[in-house]
Amino acid sequence: MGTLDGSTLPTLCRMATNALEIRGLRKTFGTFRAVDGVDLTVRPGTFHGIVGPNGAGKSTTIGMAVGLIVPDAGEIRILGHDAVRDRATARSLTGVLPDGLDLPERLTGAELLRYSAGLRGLSRTAAAERAGELIEVLGITKAAATPLADCSTGNRKKVGLAQALLHAPRLLVLDEPFEAVDPVSAASIRRVLRRFVDSGGTCVLSTHSMLLVEQMCDDVTVIHQGTVVAAGTVAAVAGGVPLEDRFVELVGAETGGADGLSWLVR
Amino acid sequence: MFRRSLREHPGPAVAAIAGLLAAGWLIHYASYGDQHTLSILAGTWVLGWLVLPLMLGAGRGRVRPSHLRLEPIGSLPAAAGLLLASAIGIGPLVSLVALAALPVHAARYGARGVLVAGFGALLLWLIGLIGSAFALESIGHAGGPAGAILTGVFTGTVMGVFGSVWAVAPWITFLLAGTPGHIVRWLPWFPGSWPLSAVAGPSGRGFGMIIGLVAIVLVLGAAYLTLVRRTLASGSSRRPGRSLSPRAGVWGPGPVWAVAGRELRAWGRHPLRLQYLAFAVVYGTLLAGLPLLAGADLLVPWAGVLTALWAAGMSAGLVGLDGTALWMPFGTPGGERAEVRGRALAWLLLVTPIAVLLTVAGMLVAPQVDPLPALAVLPAVLGAGGTVPVWVSLLRVRPVPDVRHPTSADNPTDMISVLVAVGGGVLAAAAPVACLIWGPSALAPVAGVVSGALLWFAGRWLADDRLAGRGAEVLAAAGQRTRPPETAIPLTWDAEWYRRNKATAWALILLMVGWVPVVPQGLMVLVFDISGGWIVASHLTGGARTGVAVAMVALGGALLLTGLVLWGRRPYPLSPGSSPEARTRS
Repeated sequence: MGTLDGSTLPTLCRMATNALEIRGLRKTFGTFRAVDGVDLTVRPGTFHGIVGPNGAGKSTTIGMAVGLIVPDAGEIRILGHDAVRDRATARSLTGVLPDGLDLPERLTGAELLRYSAGLRGLSRTAAAERAGELIEVLGITKAAATPLADCSTGNRKKVGLAQALLHAPRLLVLDEPFEAVDPVSAASIRRVLRRFVDSGGTCVLSTHSMLLVEQMCDDVTVIHQGTVVAAGTVAAVAGGVPLEDRFVELVGAETGGADGLSWLVR
Repeated sequence: MFRRSLREHPGPAVAAIAGLLAAGWLIHYASYGDQHTLSILAGTWVLGWLVLPLMLGAGRGRVRPSHLRLEPIGSLPAAAGLLLASAIGIGPLVSLVALAALPVHAARYGARGVLVAGFGALLLWLIGLIGSAFALESIGHAGGPAGAILTGVFTGTVMGVFGSVWAVAPWITFLLAGTPGHIVRWLPWFPGSWPLSAVAGPSGRGFGMIIGLVAIVLVLGAAYLTLVRRTLASGSSRRPGRSLSPRAGVWGPGPVWAVAGRELRAWGRHPLRLQYLAFAVVYGTLLAGLPLLAGADLLVPWAGVLTALWAAGMSAGLVGLDGTALWMPFGTPGGERAEVRGRALAWLLLVTPIAVLLTVAGMLVAPQVDPLPALAVLPAVLGAGGTVPVWVSLLRVRPVPDVRHPTSADNPTDMISVLVAVGGGVLAAAAPVACLIWGPSALAPVAGVVSGALLWFAGRWLADDRLAGRGAEVLAAAGQRTRPPETAIPLTWDAEWYRRNKATAWALILLMVGWVPVVPQGLMVLVFDISGGWIVASHLTGGARTGVAVAMVALGGALLLTGLVLWGRRPYPLSPGSSPEARTRS
């Protein structure tokens, strides 16, 4: 982990105003450098999208930001708090929806929310009220009474999102929040998140959907091969062309599908 | 498929040899043995065929109905094909050989007897084949609580009988000589006896028994066909997920009770946890109770202690069972501490009533046995059992392949973890046992409580330390569906490796050396009263001899414990580009 000295004081002051500030983040798995010196700034009260191809390092970056993966080097600050040294405060301010991790599979959706509320130290009354509202708003009445092991991927995502929102965090970090979620539920979730951001909260989401980023996000960071290749407002990064085209250009990929497969297209 | 089963794993070949030996013995026994005993043995064989694959993992790698879902095939040909596929292999072949014992026995009734018993044996074989396929698909994969408890009871019974074989053996010998009359009266109710009863009994009754066996085969076939049809239609043989009460139920206040609430619900619903608990209760009870068959009642009040010990052992892999669900406490302030305390609290709330109940029952069954030793040791074992398994399961994470729907074959617990978890209880029991041996024995219960509390805090501290220092590593290990990379250990002296891996080297030394004081210097003296020039205690007599042996066990236990702690703290394998900080401590 990097250390601070007097020369970095102005940086620190600036960082204190940001919802999430990452500097020089690195992570290596074996011989694979998953994240290689990522810098990321998330302004408070904004939607911030993190995009990149598969294996670009998005989930690893998010995992390190919320303390689920230990970085090899780098600095992470959440709403001005050092995420490593002042871990408790950083955790209390953050709501997390990771991708691909298990849940307590024998609990029902409602029980998961009560469990999460208990972990966060919420009172029984507040927990019951908030859980009830979230279940209704997110449309997970059936999942609330079903063991998570038997829930669909989409319902698990929605229950996971509910637990991330339950303690009213100031920073939401969501990894692929709309994966396998039906369009109607997705619209509800977008409205909930928009209200959250409009009230001063900050939402960081990792996604493969450029359309979603264009519709929802104020800022976007493009990660490719463990490094940031573009960052800024969505309009600035897109540079006047559709974000998807810009993204393909940034990651240096060539979209296939134009040639071959003559047997398929008659 | 037969070639594949042989190529993939050496287990089937070993099982085939053992199975053929057993089948050979059964045929040999059939040539001279008692008809009713042979019927019991044949029935037990088929029952084992139904139950053992559930426990030994035959479900994995098996062609299943869901694999045929996208194929253009009807449910009847699919079911027939799947049954035919399951008939190809070593197990069914060995079972066919074993059940040949029935026509061999029936040879004394002439050719007709051989034909009828042979047909009956074939029907029993079909019951085993179809019943096993049905059980694997319905219980093995659905992981229902009833199947899990049944499996736990069965394994606990088998282990309990083996553990008390000295007490059970005379009864087995008695049974082989001839089945007692009161058992014979019940035998007609069990299909395993029908092939031979059909030969030996009146012809009309015999015909009915063969028809009965045919009916069971048809019913099982129809049930399996229904399962296959459901799977081909919906993609899963499981019934749709059952809904529970929409109310979240009662949760205690605060993070520790939140984790405890989660754990208690998991204990009540998770098939493998139910299986482990059932196993611990049955195994502990049988270890204490079966010696009664030989007139030994000394262990009866220890049923609760033994159950608690095995409940601790079976809890040594629970973190692996839960997969990466640990991320939730890791994302909350103080979540790691709550995780450790909540898990321990839930275990204590679950096991204590069972252990106390069994202890009291044991005292009532054997009122003439002094219950003080068991009562003194119980709190010690319960104290250690709460936290030591939590630490062990965080130290040695063995994730199951499918966290959502594990099968009974997915066992995340390894023998070392079980031994360490049980060893914690044994270590805690040392203090009250010392009081009972050297006195004052009245202080033994107090010593038990103090010792249990000390082990509780020690296990808690170790688990806290593990999560505080290596929480992310534990989480990563819980997500590894394959084994995490281990530190490569050189087979020859390598000074550079030693310099970089001092903790690993010392852990290995302690884990190797620690057994010397525990086993030969301690337990062998205490249990078998051995002597020898290098056995320190053998140069002493009386209390001093026992004291030194106990001290040796304690010394060895401390060395092994230190070794395990160091092993848990060993550095990561070197990887290019990773920082020294990350390599030594995450």
